[in-house]
Amino acid sequence: MNGTQKVPVTILTGFLGSGKTTLLNKILSEEHGKRIAVIENEYGEVGIDQGLVINADEEVFEMSNGCICCTVRGDLIRVLGNLMKRRDKFDYVLVETTGLADPGPVAQTFFMDDEIRSEFSLDGIVTLVDAAHIDQQLGRSDESSEQVAFADVLVLNKTDLVSDESLDTLEARLRDMNRMARVVRSKQADVSVETVLNLGAFDLDQVLERRPSFLEPEYPFEWTGVFQLEPGRYEVSLEEGPDPMMSLVVVADQGTDEESLNEGAESCVRLYAESAELLHPGDKIPLNKHVNLQLQSEGRKSFSLEVEKSGHLGLFTQHTAEEFDIKVRRMDTSVSESGSNQQNDLLIPPIAERTWVAQHEHDDEVGSIAIERLGDVDPEKLNKWLGRLLSEKGVDIFRTKGFISYAGEPRRIVFQGVHMLFTSQPDREWGNEPRRNQLVFIGRNLDEEALQSGFDKCLT
Amino acid sequence: MPDIRELGPQGRGMLHEGWSTEVADYVIVCGWALEGNAFLVGDAAGGLYAFEGKSGTTLWHRKEVHEGGILAMSIHPDGHIFATAGQDGRVLIWKSKEGESNKALEIGKGWVEHLQWSPDGQFLAVVFSHYVYVFGADGKEHWRSDKHLSTVSAVAWSKSNELATACYGRVTFYDVIRDQVNQKLEWQGSLVSMVLSPDGDIVACGSQDNSVHFWRRSTAQDAEMTGYPGKPSQLAFDQTGMVLATGGGERITVWSFQGNGPEGTVPGELDLHIGAISSLAFSNRGSLLASGSRDGSVFVWLLQKNGHGEPLGGAFVGGRVEAIAWRPDDCALAAVNANGGINVWDFKNRTKSSPKGFS
Repeated sequence: MNGTQKVPVTILTGFLGSGKTTLLNKILSEEHGKRIAVIENEYGEVGIDQGLVINADEEVFEMSNGCICCTVRGDLIRVLGNLMKRRDKFDYVLVETTGLADPGPVAQTFFMDDEIRSEFSLDGIVTLVDAAHIDQQLGRSDESSEQVAFADVLVLNKTDLVSDESLDTLEARLRDMNRMARVVRSKQADVSVETVLNLGAFDLDQVLERRPSFLEPEYPFEWTGVFQLEPGRYEVSLEEGPDPMMSLVVVADQGTDEESLNEGAESCVRLYAESAELLHPGDKIPLNKHVNLQLQSEGRKSFSLEVEKSGHLGLFTQHTAEEFDIKVRRMDTSVSESGSNQQNDLLIPPIAERTWVAQHEHDDEVGSIAIERLGDVDPEKLNKWLGRLLSEKGVDIFRTKGFISYAGEPRRIVFQGVHMLFTSQPDREWGNEPRRNQLVFIGRNLDEEALQSGFDKCLT
Repeated sequence: MPDIRELGPQGRGMLHEGWSTEVADYVIVCGWALEGNAFLVGDAAGGLYAFEGKSGTTLWHRKEVHEGGILAMSIHPDGHIFATAGQDGRVLIWKSKEGESNKALEIGKGWVEHLQWSPDGQFLAVVFSHYVYVFGADGKEHWRSDKHLSTVSAVAWSKSNELATACYGRVTFYDVIRDQVNQKLEWQGSLVSMVLSPDGDIVACGSQDNSVHFWRRSTAQDAEMTGYPGKPSQLAFDQTGMVLATGGGERITVWSFQGNGPEGTVPGELDLHIGAISSLAFSNRGSLLASGSRDGSVFVWLLQKNGHGEPLGGAFVGGRVEAIAWRPDDCALAAVNANGGINVWDFKNRTKSSPKGFS
């Protein structure tokens, strides 16, 4: 009713021992000029002794309809309902959950309860991860992977107890599970208060402002090499690699700056969507066409390329150049068809390379699926599809975030959801920007192909 | 839809300007004591005030009586003493006239959220987390409940020795003298509020899933009223037990228990507030309902047996109406709000042939 600002609420999750209490103590004792009310759900051994701290027992209330998405945290409704009357005493609320808490009901409380929704806004979910133990925890408990999946910020804590190498592996694993989250590393939960508060993570305007493309898109190719080539014949040769086959698209006039590489990648996604032509060693690789290179025979295999006018040729390959030791050589006009020219001085190095986040098999049950498509969607079809998807799979879909381009709508439509609960609203105007759609689904055992083809059917 | 702001704090219709004043913080609780000669108010900062009933003059003022703020107040049926509870985990028993507390009960580390004197004034029920305690007016503990399934959300006395408690999934009736459970009414849902009909037979609970669930104790029949836009935290029975007024949105939904109702009947709907209902109170006699809203408006309605009703008067006080209370003689109505405002209106009730309800 009154236009007063809603109080932002951060949810702090993480397994026992991940460092939540250390982080809370740090935030409460630091001089940051912010007034924070803390709702503490875990009676840790380390007491928190400053600021406005309220203890509450975690109370998960399921509704009679049995719907998991209507499940809320009764304790939060009670405590926040009373805190609401003391709004002049604090500017932020931080809710600490117990180590075993499912973040779903906590987040849903801010959507489902009309009174809480009118006074508070869920600002973000921060999950602390004990770098030394999370690997085992992820294997053992659903809660642990759900906490990772729900996070807007993942604080990889206790990094001093783990080697850099295993940290990188761990970070990659966490990113696979949740590609929306920002990953922050820390030793003793020593992260700045800004990392935790006022994330605006549920305010998509802010998210998109900070990270216009908040997800790194997944492509069907892992590597791009751009080669400066004069007119003539060239050999593309490959060693044995992890697959007996590799797909490839070669495009002409590929730029080398970041923007051109991204544009090239997006247009190649469409070429990759077409069925591939099978090429055998010795065959000529056509331009702008999806091909599969047959690599079953032993030893180095060569394919040929013909360039009519000088320029930059882009190779978009399914695997990295390193894995197959991909090499491009100028072929002497006198060289025989076998392509056995071994002169190294004709080897042409790429003038630009880029490795992409690849689509690949996810080891964890919990993972993220990203959809990126150029063009417009039909709002009616999209609503129908999403509505059905979330009602059927809402239990397994933890978070949804994205923006879409509605046909005929000058503004971007941003949306986000927790389980089945879902909101969308118009954002800024597209202007000259190419119309595109980005969606991320984070959940358990999601069917990537079904999601992508479902979305594709909504495109106009 | 009228502009509720135009009503003004002085009131329109049958609400006539009485007195008004302001306290330092968000007013959380209020009530009439000393036969309507004192109006008591407690605020979020822990301030406790008594105002002279007719003039609004301050009788006494106590600061920070509960560290962290007041959460509950219950005035003893005789009006001479009352109890307050707060975030400090304590219950204080006060003398209404002097504003002095001579008993402090230390319940525990945590919030004491609900208090209720028994109808005969012998017992005080105190809700603390998963437990309910019953104390005598002398401050001695008489009884303590077993651990509830969740934090207790409401208590109500059905008789002087029988106490009903509501929590997640259950309403329980305890005989606090014999220390036994008389009845358990179960339903999987988070019960956020509870009222009993004056004869104690009907138990109505507001539920988190935007419904009202009720039971008839005599037949163990239960029913669920769904379709509320919000959770119906506010519930009020009139003195005859004929109609139940419920919040849970901008409209007041009134269920009538006449005939075979309310099952299968269309409820009365009172629709003038533009914000969600935040408080409801029936007059002590007769069928006058006072309602307050988050939008800062107050209305008084005359209800019929079938649950339908007409507005008699209204006012706009500017802040969320946190509580509303009829003076014991029903000749004045008080409302307290989130901005610390206190408004009292005179209500011209015909005292000689006062409405006797629906009988």
